[in-house]
Amino acid sequence: MRTQIPFISLLATSVLITVSFNAEGQTTATGTVDALLIHNSGISLVFDTNTSGVALGTSGAAATTLNFGAISAFGALVAGVTRSAVLSNFFTVGTLFNIQVQEGGATSTSYRLTAQLSAASPAGFSCAVDGVTLGTASSQIQSSAAYNTDVQHALNLTISTAAPGAGGPALNTPLTTTLNFTATAN
Amino acid sequence: MKGTGLIRTCFIAAICVSPALAASNPPTAQLLFHANLTSSVTLVFQNNPNAGSTGYCALINSGANFVGLNLGNASQVVPDDQACVRYLSGSSSYTVSSAFDVVVTITNSRSPSYSLAAQISTASPSGVTWTLNGTGLSTSFKTIQTANPYVSPITQTLGVNVQRAVAAQTLFESVNFLATAN
Repeated sequence: MRTQIPFISLLATSVLITVSFNAEGQTTATGTVDALLIHNSGISLVFDTNTSGVALGTSGAAATTLNFGAISAFGALVAGVTRSAVLSNFFTVGTLFNIQVQEGGATSTSYRLTAQLSAASPAGFSCAVDGVTLGTASSQIQSSAAYNTDVQHALNLTISTAAPGAGGPALNTPLTTTLNFTATAN
Repeated sequence: MKGTGLIRTCFIAAICVSPALAASNPPTAQLLFHANLTSSVTLVFQNNPNAGSTGYCALINSGANFVGLNLGNASQVVPDDQACVRYLSGSSSYTVSSAFDVVVTITNSRSPSYSLAAQISTASPSGVTWTLNGTGLSTSFKTIQTANPYVSPITQTLGVNVQRAVAAQTLFESVNFLATAN
């Protein structure tokens, strides 16, 4: 009689498996910074003291002050102020100052300069820049000025010699006038 | 067939033997593996603790090895519109810059320090110079530091100098850093 031998499990064996992890050592590391700058063009205007004029309150700034000090037809004037004319009904004093318009990234090679008074001049008193009498409307001072260099300008005050109240300005009272300058790229 | 009978006999013998063996020796198996441990190094950028104050803009994706840095809008005559950007203007050019930290970590190594190099990915337009800690960068790697300690954040200042005559444009640059174990 044939004996049915069931199929049984195989012999257990020892299994030796070798797994190797070989990798080259890492000695460097990298990183990246993506940097972005939006570079714009532009112009700016600053006032600089002229060596022959009155020292500005803040030289190199876009807003500054200029003090004529005590002015009169015949009396002493402060350093930097000159008296160019004394006539029967008016006299003129003046000083020099610089304007520098700086530009960057612009294709323009020159600028146009205009100026105006922020308010009407006091009675008996007028001012001019480079011979252009200023009012509250914009007036052109220069049509084509160079960038990035000091450009000299003359500020002249013409004062009536009339008595106060008779056409002349007030006495012993500070006369303040604000001049606004605008530079426009050509 | 004689051969078949022989095989059958052997097989039967094996079957007869195995139960006895199984009873005395429980099935076992062994797995033996080998591994070669190597050192590794990583570099990440992270915000400087002063992030937000002038000269320290926050990085985009801080903590990673690929980050962004927004240096805002600027010109020769108008300062940068971002308070965190350091802006310096001279007579012929202006520079904007911002600082951040680089952290390099190494494991399983006796290396005491690392050197750091940097490069720009593409050549800059004429009149534009990207700098790292004041050193001008080029498309070739330039060594910036030679013996930086690991793990410690090392502050780096990335800047760009733009000459006055450079026309208005967007200036974008990928600055690559390379840390090498000493």
